[in-house]
Amino acid sequence: MLQVRDGAGETLGVLFDRYQTPLFNFYSKLTGNRTLSEDLVQEVFLRILKYRQSYRPGTPFRAWIYQIARNARIDHFRKFPRETTFEPEMLPPLIPTDSAQEQQEVELLQRALQQLPEEKREILLLCRFQELKYEEIAALLGCELNTVRTRIHRALQELRKNFHQLAQGTMLKKAEAAGNIPPQGGRHEV
Amino acid sequence: MKCEQISELLPDYLQGSLSAEQRHAVEAHLEQCADCSEEAALWKKLSLLPVDRPGPESQARFEAMLQAYQAGRSNQPDGGSEWRRRTSAWNWNVFHWLRSPLGAMAWSAALLVVGVFAGLHLAGPKPPSPDLAAMQSELASMKQLVVLSMLQQQSASARLEGVTWSTRDEQLNPQVLSALLHTLCYDASVDVRLAALDALSRHGRQPQVHKGILDSLQQDQSPLVQVALIDLLLEWRDPDAVQRLQALQQTPYRNPSVRQRVEWAKSKLD
Repeated sequence: MLQVRDGAGETLGVLFDRYQTPLFNFYSKLTGNRTLSEDLVQEVFLRILKYRQSYRPGTPFRAWIYQIARNARIDHFRKFPRETTFEPEMLPPLIPTDSAQEQQEVELLQRALQQLPEEKREILLLCRFQELKYEEIAALLGCELNTVRTRIHRALQELRKNFHQLAQGTMLKKAEAAGNIPPQGGRHEV
Repeated sequence: MKCEQISELLPDYLQGSLSAEQRHAVEAHLEQCADCSEEAALWKKLSLLPVDRPGPESQARFEAMLQAYQAGRSNQPDGGSEWRRRTSAWNWNVFHWLRSPLGAMAWSAALLVVGVFAGLHLAGPKPPSPDLAAMQSELASMKQLVVLSMLQQQSASARLEGVTWSTRDEQLNPQVLSALLHTLCYDASVDVRLAALDALSRHGRQPQVHKGILDSLQQDQSPLVQVALIDLLLEWRDPDAVQRLQALQQTPYRNPSVRQRVEWAKSKLD
């Protein structure tokens, strides 16, 4: 990064190789929009070029790049306010199948994550997928370390609730498909 | 241990940053509490989510962006011509040096010497000496340096001021003249081009300036500048004025006032 800061543009290519997928994954899981995520990744690297002088040597680079990434997203949505918080264009339709249980759980989890409010989804993505330390997240979000812990726990609690509801819904559909429960009337005990 | 207490420890437990004692306490709770253990299980399952990857065109876009950025940076001080690039680099160096502490000291010393020198010589009854003439020429060249630098400024009003400065001297060196001609041909602001034309018209006898002004007649797209050029052509009674006006008439332009002015100038010349 120091080389990029001091003007070696080619070195940015190395950073791009290293960070484009994590950043894309962060954006796509956060927004559900592939095109927008690709645009935002490009925007992050343009900003790294523009503002490279603001990087202070010795500070964690990952935190700096995610700071840029968050700001790029915030600026984008300030310019183009959206109506929905999540655009699930990337989601495969959730159809109860007889596929492996794990596969289904992954799909349910993905949906449960996407049903979370954006700030809860973001904090889980930052610590679980981007593997930022809690201290880094606290600095990034501008809050106390304990606040980060509480927010993560609340996000996990809500994720569990969402997951449960989705799992119940899927089991009902499965049961309906199998004809065990009459289409009308009847109590849906699971 | 209750769930509320766990909520403070669970995130650290999940990241593996608890002490052995705390970890055991959390694990003991997880064995009893279905909700908390489910949260811990979901945390682990999050790692099973597929990683979304950008499309293959993302790399190409990045490389294009990088190239465009680098090209943009290397062209930034460039106004489009080699000449402009060279003079602006030179001016920048000079002014950068003048602004540095060393430059400021040199400046002050030079001014002091000039002041003492002027005081000694101007106060005396002696006729102007060659030294004074040298000093005057030094001052003139300094003024012209200021003009050159101002013509390179970003702001149109600064460039306009630069053009005005150039009119304070009877004689201009070829470098300033060619900078003014460049301004007349390429400046983005109509006002600055008009002022440059006005400044240059005083030096119309010099062949370099004469030719430059006549050539700009074909180039300039602004009706205001074109009308001013036509008037100048008429004023000079240039031998090939009619020919140039005819050439202008043949080029496609839309503005009727320029067309009328050409007709009028031709009738005056005939």
